[in-house]
Amino acid sequence: MFFGKKKNESRKKQTETLPPSSQNKETPVQANDQMKKNETISETTEIFIQDVKERVLSPADFVVRHVTEKISITFVDNLIKEDILNLKLLPALQNIENESPETIISQLPLPQINKTDKMTDCVDTMLTGAVVIHVEGHSCAILVIIPARESRGLTPPENESQVIGSQVGFNESLSTNISLVRRYIANPNLGNEKFKVGKQTNTALSVMYIKGIVAEQNVNTIRQRIEALDIQDIIDSAELSELIDDNKLSFFPQMLITERPDRFCDGLLSGKVGILVDGSSMAILCPYSFFEFFQSREDKNLRWPIATFLRLLRFVAILISIFLTPLYVGALTFHYEVIPQSLLVPLSESRARVPFPPILEALFLELIMELLREAGARLPTKIGQTIGIVGGIVLGTAAVQAGITSNILIIIVALCALSSFITPSYMMGNVIRIVRFPIIIMAGFWGFYGIMLAFCILLIHLLRLTSLGAPYMSPFYPPRIRSWGDSIIRFPYRFTVRKSATTRVDGAEFSSNQDGQKNDRNVEE
Amino acid sequence: MKNKLQIGTNEMFNAPLLFYIICASQVGVGVHGFQAVIYQNAKHDAWISIIISFLAAYLSVFMSLKLLKMYETEDIFGVNLDLFGKYIGNFINLLLVIYSSLAFFAIIRNYTDVINAWVFPELKPSFIMITLMILVLYAFTAGLRTIIGICFFSFFLGLWIPVALIIPLNYANVNYLLPVFSADLVELLKGAYYMTFTVAGFEVIHTLYPFIKEKEKAKKYVSLGLFFTMFLYLFVMIVTLTFFSGEQLERTIWATLSLFSNIRLPFLERIELITVCFWMIVILPNLCLYAWSAFRGMKRIANISEMKFILGMFSLIFIGSFFIETRSEIYEFNNKFGYTAFIIVLIYPMVLYLIAYIKKSVSRQRAGKE
Repeated sequence: MFFGKKKNESRKKQTETLPPSSQNKETPVQANDQMKKNETISETTEIFIQDVKERVLSPADFVVRHVTEKISITFVDNLIKEDILNLKLLPALQNIENESPETIISQLPLPQINKTDKMTDCVDTMLTGAVVIHVEGHSCAILVIIPARESRGLTPPENESQVIGSQVGFNESLSTNISLVRRYIANPNLGNEKFKVGKQTNTALSVMYIKGIVAEQNVNTIRQRIEALDIQDIIDSAELSELIDDNKLSFFPQMLITERPDRFCDGLLSGKVGILVDGSSMAILCPYSFFEFFQSREDKNLRWPIATFLRLLRFVAILISIFLTPLYVGALTFHYEVIPQSLLVPLSESRARVPFPPILEALFLELIMELLREAGARLPTKIGQTIGIVGGIVLGTAAVQAGITSNILIIIVALCALSSFITPSYMMGNVIRIVRFPIIIMAGFWGFYGIMLAFCILLIHLLRLTSLGAPYMSPFYPPRIRSWGDSIIRFPYRFTVRKSATTRVDGAEFSSNQDGQKNDRNVEE
Repeated sequence: MKNKLQIGTNEMFNAPLLFYIICASQVGVGVHGFQAVIYQNAKHDAWISIIISFLAAYLSVFMSLKLLKMYETEDIFGVNLDLFGKYIGNFINLLLVIYSSLAFFAIIRNYTDVINAWVFPELKPSFIMITLMILVLYAFTAGLRTIIGICFFSFFLGLWIPVALIIPLNYANVNYLLPVFSADLVELLKGAYYMTFTVAGFEVIHTLYPFIKEKEKAKKYVSLGLFFTMFLYLFVMIVTLTFFSGEQLERTIWATLSLFSNIRLPFLERIELITVCFWMIVILPNLCLYAWSAFRGMKRIANISEMKFILGMFSLIFIGSFFIETRSEIYEFNNKFGYTAFIIVLIYPMVLYLIAYIKKSVSRQRAGKE
């Protein structure tokens, strides 16, 4: 609905902007002329090159070369592979006998050659890395696509490291990333659809999915949302994920951003839709449910009891991370009766010198923690370690000795911070940390009642959220008991369903499909 | 049946969820202190009263499911309109809407009272009411799916509460239960009657019925839910009866909470403070379901938007809360509400079923004659 509206608006804009230019009666013929000139490719080489130059504003790296009397080539210097140009293309062109476009296409020893008679097409392809060949007397251009794909080598994924499992991460080149995915899934059903997004950047996107496993409606939704995008530029996939989210006002990420090809492929195999963005080392996976954010790919490489333990540990960690500091604040402000006497004595002793109420004390320490984290993330790695030591040890000890905070709170805050970093998704980890602040404030105002209030709001919010139309709290609500084996616990593969609960569609065809999937898995074992 | 309900399949929910809905809608503020009133009537046979009241509840559910099955895609408001015509039907519907609002009010007022008595004596009841209403508003505007989700999580998150009540069993004195059947039938029935306030809640099925996907399974899951809550109440009752002596229990307003205050863990004491605050998630489904079913009824009477209705209802309830302030007023209100609930929840569906049955057989006879 929302996207449909947007589309209509953009269409309206177009129709609104068109009339004034046609009403501009001073130079109507000229304008028309220009339009024609721009659309078609001229027969004479000189005018053609002039047109191209005008279009690309004749930059310093724009090269024109006349190979023979009739054939001339143009390209942008830094975008093409020079050795192919020198060793293959130029000799082939020089030796051509019959200088017509058809023979050129048939005789060039290169795979990707297109012919076009549209100027826009010609310029756009040239800018992605193509040599444009123009033959005198023909109103068409031949595009030889030989892009120089400069990219760094494949490195281990730094933000999502894991002990056991593959150690390769995506890099910034779309073609490399697609090849990585194809190496994991050598399957003719692996769908790959290309899109261009951003009026200024013309960024290439690849929407990937596995036909037969993915719910077709999810792919359609993604297609519609991407096509309806009306934006100027896009640099990274994280921006895209926010633009095509279900609920744009929420704290919570509704799509996974990952830099691990194995996690990406795992998602595709469980029926999710993946998006790769050129120039970004992060891939998007959707739909993703809340609980799936706390699963690591490594869980599948470990034996199931250990994986179950780790998943439960993570879950406990979230609860600690969100609620421990608020509980401290609430208990010490209003409900000290809750604490047994043996525990109350050391607590009050450590707090005896602290002049602030617990809420200020806690907010102050949490703020320091956030500052340390942010400083550590921005600084170069070598200095970052120093900051950790300075912040963690020096500041902490000094704060206690100066009587600004209590020892116990430092332990609690450190525990909370540690727990929040356990989350396998950085995006989700951030949310877990930030969500704590309002809860601390509510605990400081209304004690346990405030914490419970915050918990209920959080629960309702999570229940309201959807990811690509799938409920965010699945597989717990709506209950898909067959998927519970692979949720916050992991059963042996024999008892789990490969297909993710978020990607399931109610209906007979899908349930049968899913059974087939399950059997496949068993056969593999 | 002129005004048939139009409900899309995406609005419907699976029958197994009924189990959680019934559990979540029945367990509410009543659990805090239902024991004393029943004990006053049935003495240490109070647990038999619970079984009786659940038998009555089961009979009522059985009747109303049969009734709704006759109409297939109608809720109780549609049934009223069909049986009594537009004017009387709408009048009865209005009464049902008022009943739902009163139930909402009873829950929220009792809860604020418990919070004031146990946790924050100084926190203004109006503040607690407003915060709870905001919560309900947030859930209510998201629709039925979210409300049922809250029921579901409320059920699972609350499971630790009966487990914690095992600890007071250490101090249990089974002799308090003996001799069995010392109360006569009238006393037992009276005790069962006073259970109504605690048992009520399952009547949401009257409004929910058309939203169930597999209607033939509804009976199974509703009965399962009823049995679960019955065992829960029985368990709480037996723990209470064996823990407190008779005189003690008569003087305890919130016996369940008093039980909690006897639980001591190495790192926690006075668990009832946590329990009372935690109870928010237990009453949240009740509040949402009552608000929702009141809205469903009101929609039949007048074409009104969700937001307008809920804000109107909340402001009326908020104003009403100023007339019922003291503990004794709340107690009196609970009694009156229990009486209303007894009629609407237990008696009314049976009467309605009889009327519908007679009407159906009469029309069938006519059709046969023609």
